[in-house]
Amino acid sequence: MGRYTKHPFWQSLAVVVVSYALIRWGIAYLPGLVGITSAPVPASVVLQYTAIVLVGVLVWVSDNEERWTRFKEPIHAALVEPDKKVVRMSMMAVVPLLVAFATFNNVRPTISAPASLRSIHPAPPTQITFRGETIVLEGLENPLREPDLEEAAFELGKELYYQNCMPCHGDYLNAGGHYAPGFNPTPLELRGSSTIAQLTESFVFWRIAKGGPGLPREGGPWNSAMPVWEDFLTADEIWAVTLFLYDQAGIAPRTWEEEGIEE
Amino acid sequence: MARYERVLRVLAPAVLLAVVGCGGGGGDAAGGGGGGDAAPAEMPFDVATAGNITGSVTFEGTPPPPEVLDMTSEADCAATYTGDPEVSWVDVGGGGLADVFVYVREGLEGMSFPVPGQAVVIDQQGCQYRPLVAGVQVGQSVAFRNSDGLLHNINASPTANRPFNVSQPVNMDTEREFAAPEVMIPIQCDVHGWMAGYIGVVTHPYHTVSGGSGAFDLSQLPPGEYVIEAWHARLGTLEQTVTVTTGQTAEVTFNFTDAMLSSAGTPTDGPHDHRTMARVGGVAE
Amino acid sequence: MRSQTRLPAAVAALLGLSALHPSPAGAQDVERGREVYEQWCSQCHGSEGDGQGPAAEYMIPRPRDFTTGLYQIRSTATGELPTDEDILRIINEGMPGTTMPGWEEELSGADREALVAYIKTFSQFFETLGAPEPLEFPGAPGASEERIAEGRLFYDSIQCFECHGAEGRGDGEASSTLQDDLGNPIRSADLWKAWTFNGGSTVEDIYQRLRTGLDGTPMPNFSDLIDAGFMTDDQLWNLAHYVRSLSPEETPTPEEVIVVGQVAPGELPGQLADERWGQAESFYVPLVGQIIENPRWFDPSVDGVWVQALHDGSEVAFRLTWHDRSRSPDPGWLEWQGWVLDAMAPREGENLEPAPRPDGITVQFPPTIPEGMDMPYFLMGDGSNPVYQWQWSSVPGTAVKAAARGLDIYEPLGAEGLTSEAAWEAGRWQLLLRRALVPADPASELQFEIGVPIPIAFFAWDGDNSEEGARGSVSSWYFIQLEEETPPSTYMAPLVAFLFTGGLGVLVVRRAQRRDREVQAAAAGIVLPPEPRPQMARNFGFAVGALWLLFALAAAGNSVGGWAAGQTDVGFWWAVITGFLTIAASVALIGTARHRYQGPRKS
Repeated sequence: MGRYTKHPFWQSLAVVVVSYALIRWGIAYLPGLVGITSAPVPASVVLQYTAIVLVGVLVWVSDNEERWTRFKEPIHAALVEPDKKVVRMSMMAVVPLLVAFATFNNVRPTISAPASLRSIHPAPPTQITFRGETIVLEGLENPLREPDLEEAAFELGKELYYQNCMPCHGDYLNAGGHYAPGFNPTPLELRGSSTIAQLTESFVFWRIAKGGPGLPREGGPWNSAMPVWEDFLTADEIWAVTLFLYDQAGIAPRTWEEEGIEE
Repeated sequence: MARYERVLRVLAPAVLLAVVGCGGGGGDAAGGGGGGDAAPAEMPFDVATAGNITGSVTFEGTPPPPEVLDMTSEADCAATYTGDPEVSWVDVGGGGLADVFVYVREGLEGMSFPVPGQAVVIDQQGCQYRPLVAGVQVGQSVAFRNSDGLLHNINASPTANRPFNVSQPVNMDTEREFAAPEVMIPIQCDVHGWMAGYIGVVTHPYHTVSGGSGAFDLSQLPPGEYVIEAWHARLGTLEQTVTVTTGQTAEVTFNFTDAMLSSAGTPTDGPHDHRTMARVGGVAE
Repeated sequence: MRSQTRLPAAVAALLGLSALHPSPAGAQDVERGREVYEQWCSQCHGSEGDGQGPAAEYMIPRPRDFTTGLYQIRSTATGELPTDEDILRIINEGMPGTTMPGWEEELSGADREALVAYIKTFSQFFETLGAPEPLEFPGAPGASEERIAEGRLFYDSIQCFECHGAEGRGDGEASSTLQDDLGNPIRSADLWKAWTFNGGSTVEDIYQRLRTGLDGTPMPNFSDLIDAGFMTDDQLWNLAHYVRSLSPEETPTPEEVIVVGQVAPGELPGQLADERWGQAESFYVPLVGQIIENPRWFDPSVDGVWVQALHDGSEVAFRLTWHDRSRSPDPGWLEWQGWVLDAMAPREGENLEPAPRPDGITVQFPPTIPEGMDMPYFLMGDGSNPVYQWQWSSVPGTAVKAAARGLDIYEPLGAEGLTSEAAWEAGRWQLLLRRALVPADPASELQFEIGVPIPIAFFAWDGDNSEEGARGSVSSWYFIQLEEETPPSTYMAPLVAFLFTGGLGVLVVRRAQRRDREVQAAAAGIVLPPEPRPQMARNFGFAVGALWLLFALAAAGNSVGGWAAGQTDVGFWWAVITGFLTIAASVALIGTARHRYQGPRKS
């Protein structure tokens, strides 16, 4: 046994195999431990990491003449020694077969939807026309976020949200509505730190008012099912919904100061 | 009765008798109020002092025509009728107004009456409830009978009592009781949307349903002043105050008119409209 | 909870007390429950608990009215109150097939228990009746073919079909007349969609619903019948197994790409009933209410369509299957239409009166296959990007082609070249659509290409649910892909890779062995004679060169094909590849031919 464990060739082989397994399955296993669902590890990542490990192993075995010689021994033996003929012949059959199989997998026709690449947040316009009126978005804060208006606005926004938005964006603002599974891309989750928490209220106002059809050409295709809410709601109602979204989700909107624009 | 058995299993056998004696007043059966009153075996007054009420219900004007029922989905039921299957909700065929629930609404407060041991039978025959309107005392059994032998369900939707929804796929009886007074409890067969009926539940035996001639009797009442209410499924309610004296028979007449029909709305836009209709008379306490 | 309240209840009964007060939940619980309820539940169920929150009118079935103490999903007998566990279960898991979501992940355990305590305060029955006693449910016997067959017979004998239909798709005679306890229209369950069962989809769930009934709905209980000896528990289990067997084991989930299988030329099924459809894979596409453009519709009847598709290289055929409780227009459903239109907010648009309306389905494609994900607006296109449609309606019953530029803005394209056949049976529509890959008019119609993802979307209407125009159910874009014959190059490439790797292996081994012999000979002082030129290496070199030449020829073919098809970019890149391969092949062939063996290398 020690003949194998102390031998640089077998050590290297073990390191590469174990590393591959860790990269392929180990990484994906980690998020699950803290309750996060893991995305599959992309093949390119597996390839890169395995290549790094391989280079490291080669550097290690070759940095010392004696180790390098010992490393080559089993390879050389398999190539020339008469009593290794079985090993030699089977390697010569198995390796080309594996290569052929991998090649076949690569070139055979596959069925998959076109990849969709898009930036998360589209670039907002500086101003929009809302029902014939021009609204300058840049530097604009929610006009209902005033001490005497806020409470009524929240109640109005709540009512409107559950009548109009809940089927897709969900009771808990988590995109868990009963219509959500019917749309691709799926509706936006409004909780958490990555969506509206990154945005100013005027950005949210714009997205609600203009919906999917109002998205800019650049950055697309969007294929958004978001309705054009200016067809259904007044500006005040949209501001009320915007205010409600942040307050109900318990997150603060990004302000224009953070955006670096002085009012 | 299964509900009671479950309660009884929980309680000690000694308690068992007490609960049965209380007319089903255990935790499971109690309704909105008065459910725990003890039901005595004897009348709570000297029967020798009793008086009677007799009367009639009339209808003035033009009654709506009988509703023709589309029973194409149940040929067996349709076959029990000579002509088109129909139901007469405003039935004046016998001279007076039939199917009016008449009962003492006020004047008996604080009195407890023995519960009749005999069940009131509501038959499902020809895919209709017969009778359409029935009265029953709190704690008294109602036997729902399926004489049609095809699938009916009895879906009762009271508010002061607990609802139930029972399936009857074959010829059979199902007995149920109501724990609280309620005028009226709508019953409904969901399989046959046209099948609607009403049950009036009161705390005493002084209730009746007018017959074809419109006549009714409430007998053996203790002397006193009473508010008598007449409830009709399409015409709403009328009330009269009557004084009963020992050995005498007081007379009372209720006059429904076709004007009340229009104010009460047209019958059945949907199978369950009678549920709202049932609320016209309010809940008797 | 129950064990604590049972003793006081017994004592109270003993003392003849009229009202029984179970030990109330802590006031703090109720107060916390009120806060949570106001934040997350009142929108639908109403601040008063009467099920009339501001969003209630947008939902069928309506949110539960807590003031009546009437609950659909219980472990107790009909008319009984639910246990705390029953209420908590619905809060945790929600009610499939309705708008009620589960809150297990969203709210803390303490908050959910506080909610139970608060919800119970809406009905006095929880105070006057004491704790309910759950029914005892025996364990489920295992499923078997016999049980399912017995269950089927029992289903018929107790006349479940009156509401649920002969085949269980919710299309029974009575289904157009059903209302819930609030007088709102209610649909009998489609037993083929266990994932929409309000009380859960397991066979145990189904059995329990049969035992308890669904109070407040037309569904009665069957415990009374067991108690009265009219049926046995075992028969009810058989029925539950039969009902469960109608639905797939797993909830169907949509695939992004619908595979259009390939059949031999002329083998494409031409009729709905063709047995060959049995071999075609079925893909589920969920549909939801059109709530994007005015007038919106929050009560769609068609919630999904199963798609099967095949092509034979020259034609493509689709078989669409969807459930619909009636063959519209059916006058028996006019009253239902009135109820639904009355019940549903926001009552936008016109034609809000019951009327004979047909069923319909529209299949949408882009007019030309787009680059990547750049597709027209899925709601029937818009002014600048139209969609190409196949519109089918139960009146007159055939499909036509159209180009749409928005909801109800379309230009008819006739029916030429589009074959259709439709049939409604026992609550199910099936529709066959068939067209040549190359359209009659390539300028306005999609040309199907093999091996390329092609966007597809659906729009469906149930006329007897008052659906027409924008009032219907929609899907967003999915893709179809016509299976392609595996090209010969697919088999060539691995063969070449095999030969190449194998040859390399042979060379390495031979070289290593020769060097080994040389080293040994040198050690023994023997000078080996120069070896003759290894014929094998030479042959290998020629083989590689020949193969590359072959590839170059194939690439040149692709290049010419690309140019010919008008795909100049494809043609160009194949030409570049052809060039490289030709150079490589030349080097290999010329190099091998000129090579002279120089004798063993001096080390």
